[in-house]
Amino acid sequence: MTTSTTAVLHSEWIKITSVRSASGSLIAVFAATLLVTVLTFSTVGRAEADNPGNDLLFFAFYALNFGQIAAISFGATALSSEFLNGALRISLTAVPGRSLFYAAKMAVIGGLALVVGLITSFTSFLVGQSFMGEYTIGLGEPGTLRAAFGGGVYLALMTLFAAGLTAVLRSAVAVLSLLIPFILIVSFVVGDIAGGVAQYLPDRAGQLVLHQSAEGSLGPWTGLAVTAGWAAVALLAGWWTIRRRDA
Amino acid sequence: MTSIDVHELTKDYGSTRAVDHLTFSVRPGRVTGFLGPNGAGKSTTMRLVLGLDRATVGTSAIGGRPYVSLSNPLRRVGALLDAQAAHGSRTARNHLLALATSNGIAGSRVEAVLVEAGLGSVGGRRIKTFSLGMRQRLGIAAALLGDPEVVMLDEPSNGLDPEGIVWIRGLMRKLAGEGRTVLVSSHLMNETSSFADHLVVLGKGRLLVDMPMREFLASRSRPGVRLRTTESTRLREVLIRKGYEPAQDDDGRWTVDGATTEEIGVLAAFEGIPLLELSNVQATLEEAYLDLTSTEAEFTATTPPAATTSPTADQEA
Repeated sequence: MTTSTTAVLHSEWIKITSVRSASGSLIAVFAATLLVTVLTFSTVGRAEADNPGNDLLFFAFYALNFGQIAAISFGATALSSEFLNGALRISLTAVPGRSLFYAAKMAVIGGLALVVGLITSFTSFLVGQSFMGEYTIGLGEPGTLRAAFGGGVYLALMTLFAAGLTAVLRSAVAVLSLLIPFILIVSFVVGDIAGGVAQYLPDRAGQLVLHQSAEGSLGPWTGLAVTAGWAAVALLAGWWTIRRRDA
Repeated sequence: MTSIDVHELTKDYGSTRAVDHLTFSVRPGRVTGFLGPNGAGKSTTMRLVLGLDRATVGTSAIGGRPYVSLSNPLRRVGALLDAQAAHGSRTARNHLLALATSNGIAGSRVEAVLVEAGLGSVGGRRIKTFSLGMRQRLGIAAALLGDPEVVMLDEPSNGLDPEGIVWIRGLMRKLAGEGRTVLVSSHLMNETSSFADHLVVLGKGRLLVDMPMREFLASRSRPGVRLRTTESTRLREVLIRKGYEPAQDDDGRWTVDGATTEEIGVLAAFEGIPLLELSNVQATLEEAYLDLTSTEAEFTATTPPAATTSPTADQEA
């Protein structure tokens, strides 16, 4: 395939940034996280920190729980716009190399999510801490930089996880109604009950990078690597589907 | 020059055979009308040629190469498949810009094709605000974007207003006149007869006809003439004497089956009967097509069920 890779990347950039639902949910990653950070930390921030045994570092990234919903929406809608009314046919007539098309799209989605994720993670950390008074954690303290950086990577991985699943299921609605209840309810409930195995769930594992000290068998980076594994499986499944199926 | 070549192309969707061992070529420099009822396999064939669907058996090529192996394919082939496919929340300009960018086509072409398609003033509007006719024009603009040698249009006059239909007709004639290869599917016979030079007709996924339109019409017409005269009575006597069976129409004209203008013109001149009008009667494309399908219906009715898969289950998009 001699269609230029940079040209296809540029084209995918135009496609994603020119669809309101996709660019909107990307902005929402930042906006929702920051909003929840301000609301939480300006009200109950110090009271929470006063609780003995609370992981202050993990608490600092509390609002990422909301940002990740937006990140998942971004991943899903960025892909699902190809599955509306046969839009994929137009895309594949322009770029018939399906692997190139898919890789370029995912690279743009992942890149955008990573940049926005890092900005979100660092900003919400710093803004949140500004409300914490005596409990403030600085970026220089152990694990903090790792958590802030890892939080951004985590958002990007969840975005790609959702995007890969959307390529398989061909519907943002299906993916969102699968992932959001999963993250809000199943992972939460199962995580508290099952212990050992639950830490390998995509959101649980990835969020280990945000903790001051990990308790289970997974460390902060290995946890994030497990989430990367989930994302990789979803991306491969999506790639396989795009290559195999009639458009 | 670039032809579209389809060889033994076959596509099964589950147990439904949408396209059945099709072999034909679309040549440059003329407009080829791609005819058949809904579900005959026209859209499927186009998708197979564009590499969007995978053929069960057989091959298709553009200028000797499979579509998927073309570099910057929009510069070789422009296609309109479904005007509804463009994402509604993009502007027309961004939609075209994304396509142009992927194939290294200059951004100035975006404005050029918007203007050519009559959308010059609405390029900044979101596609969801477009009428069906405007979407159709946008789809045609996208097909023209790469100045391609091959143009494939699936039902391009769908939703177009009368002005748009005249425009698309002129456009197709112009593209063929420039030596491009133009394949246009339609289920509207009168519309197709106004622009096509050549016909490829499908029925239930199989090739029924691949010939110049004029030849197709002649093969499906009985000769006959229509005429108008000031001396009906004398002419009628003369014709009956010569063994013809003239019949008068409601509007006062006469129809003579089995005659040619040469025979009748010379005869009338010899008898000194003034003719005000004299023309050959030829079947319209619609009549020729219906004649073809009625004979085909007889044929398919006597064919074992295996060959007559249900056309309604065809995945015509």
